[in-house]
Amino acid sequence: MSAMNTAPAPSTAAARPDAPRPRRTRRRFEPVAGSLRVVLLLIYAIPILFIVLTSLKDRGDVISSQSSFLFTPTLDAYTAALSNQGLFVALQQSLTIAAGTTALTLLIAIPAGYGLARVDSRITTIGLGLLIVLQMVPQTANVIPLYQIFGAWGLLNQNIGVIIADTALLVPFAILLLRPFFRAVPEALEEAASIDGATVMRTFWSIMLPIARNGVATTGTLVFLLSWGEFLYAVNFFLSPGNYPLSALLAQQVSAFGIDWPGLMALGVITSVPILILFSFTYRLLREGLTLGAVK
Amino acid sequence: MSTDSATTGLVRRAAVRAGQPPRSATRRNATKRRKLAFALPAGVFLLVFSFFPLAQLARMSVSDVSARTLNQPWTFVGGENFAASAAQGSLFPAFGNTIIFVLVVTVVGLIGGLAAAILLSANSWLSAFVLGLMVFIWALPPVVNGSVWKFLLGDAGLINSVITGVGLSQQAVPFLYDDRFALLSVAVVNSWAVVPFNALVFRAGILGIPAETFEAARIDGANRWQEIWHMIIPAVRPTTLVLAVLTVVYAFRSFDFIFVMTYGGPGVATSTLPFLSYLQAFVRFDFGMGAATAIISVLLVLVLAVIYARSVRAEEKS
Repeated sequence: MSAMNTAPAPSTAAARPDAPRPRRTRRRFEPVAGSLRVVLLLIYAIPILFIVLTSLKDRGDVISSQSSFLFTPTLDAYTAALSNQGLFVALQQSLTIAAGTTALTLLIAIPAGYGLARVDSRITTIGLGLLIVLQMVPQTANVIPLYQIFGAWGLLNQNIGVIIADTALLVPFAILLLRPFFRAVPEALEEAASIDGATVMRTFWSIMLPIARNGVATTGTLVFLLSWGEFLYAVNFFLSPGNYPLSALLAQQVSAFGIDWPGLMALGVITSVPILILFSFTYRLLREGLTLGAVK
Repeated sequence: MSTDSATTGLVRRAAVRAGQPPRSATRRNATKRRKLAFALPAGVFLLVFSFFPLAQLARMSVSDVSARTLNQPWTFVGGENFAASAAQGSLFPAFGNTIIFVLVVTVVGLIGGLAAAILLSANSWLSAFVLGLMVFIWALPPVVNGSVWKFLLGDAGLINSVITGVGLSQQAVPFLYDDRFALLSVAVVNSWAVVPFNALVFRAGILGIPAETFEAARIDGANRWQEIWHMIIPAVRPTTLVLAVLTVVYAFRSFDFIFVMTYGGPGVATSTLPFLSYLQAFVRFDFGMGAATAIISVLLVLVLAVIYARSVRAEEKS
């Protein structure tokens, strides 16, 4: 480990062209910080490494030693997973639910975020307070009554039921995240548009939305990520595992007895690949957008 | 073009205003007020799918509801569900578990987040890579992260191989199936999952400190630890307040990791209040009792929300 101490030497701290602002170099602190950074890297890289490694192992290898690095890699777990028709159904379910939830949530939350950003009144304050409360309520307090209500309304065992429940879960979060983005748009722009004869709808559509597009993209990405991983509603509202999305399938298999670890990890990798793709396109957006939403 | 119309608009606006200021101002307010209509769809949707279910939950908590009577008229039983839940001996342990769990996740999550932020606010390729990796892990489904930690913390898993290999313990440590370790293990894994988000927010606070401040301190001979203590920590204090409440809420709502790693067990060792309500409703099919436990957690949320609103207001003032 001590050999790694010198890795992030101050010389690498030269400002990159895309750095948001010039940063100070740190000298005396570097040796300690460098090795601590490597520790941090290990804490987060090892679990990821083990998901991938285990998914490439033979079932027998895992029984003898779970922590070995030396083994003959095999794609058995993947071939087994991919030859199962259920996997494609689950992938399709995940996509339908996540895309449906993202679309419905944005449809509802964008106008609400705009409205609450522009009007300062008692109603706004109350509305924001209620949204914060809703965002804090544990999901188990929603799943119990929703199970009964959806049962009565015939929404159980249907994608639309899960999509509605996920949307109700994520709309408060989405509104609270979007509001500061709309608030950052100068009001003078809107007033100018309205004097020029643009209707409120048109102002919203062709002035506000394009300016706040980063906020919309950040929120959309996060809603997609969260609904992709959601499994509590899926496990309870779908009456048979045949309709489960990937996350619910994983949750079901990991809480079963006698876990098939290579198979489970292969399923984990398959579940994570779409997230990796989405993440690689939106990381920069998330890095800036998340901090704005959290603090405001 | 947009600037053109903006200026002409402003000029015209000013002319109109000069003519008849009071009427124009009220009209402007009314137009603004009308924009609240944009929030109407969200209001209606949440009324039907969030507030109505919560009302139903409250009604359920004072009724006798089992899987059989779920969609029939419920009989009112008052506080019986609460009493029965307490008598079964799982309600109070769950309460204690919740407090320990929230404390551990909040303390480890905040300290870890701040430490990571300080380490990663330097401009190097390693910092950038580690930050990217951490945010990616934060974005992964909790069920994936929970699964791999269940694997790593198993008897023959990596952590135990290291512990027995180094000679810290003769036998494997039963991280997930012993009363003494299970709650702590899940709490630490939960902290691991929330540190990336906290680090990202803290990092924004640290990068907001003007570079000249650091230079001035350095000229005065301050070392890095003094910088952290006298400059970074005061600068992120308001952020910490908001982040602390967010982390408390995150820990309190935690469900996924418990479900995946221990399912509330062994016994009730890792059942927090929200998780216990799930077990009571969907495993024991006593929906009334589950609703009663859930209502207690909703009431706790109301207390947290008031604290959160105050801390946000305090930050906006400063």
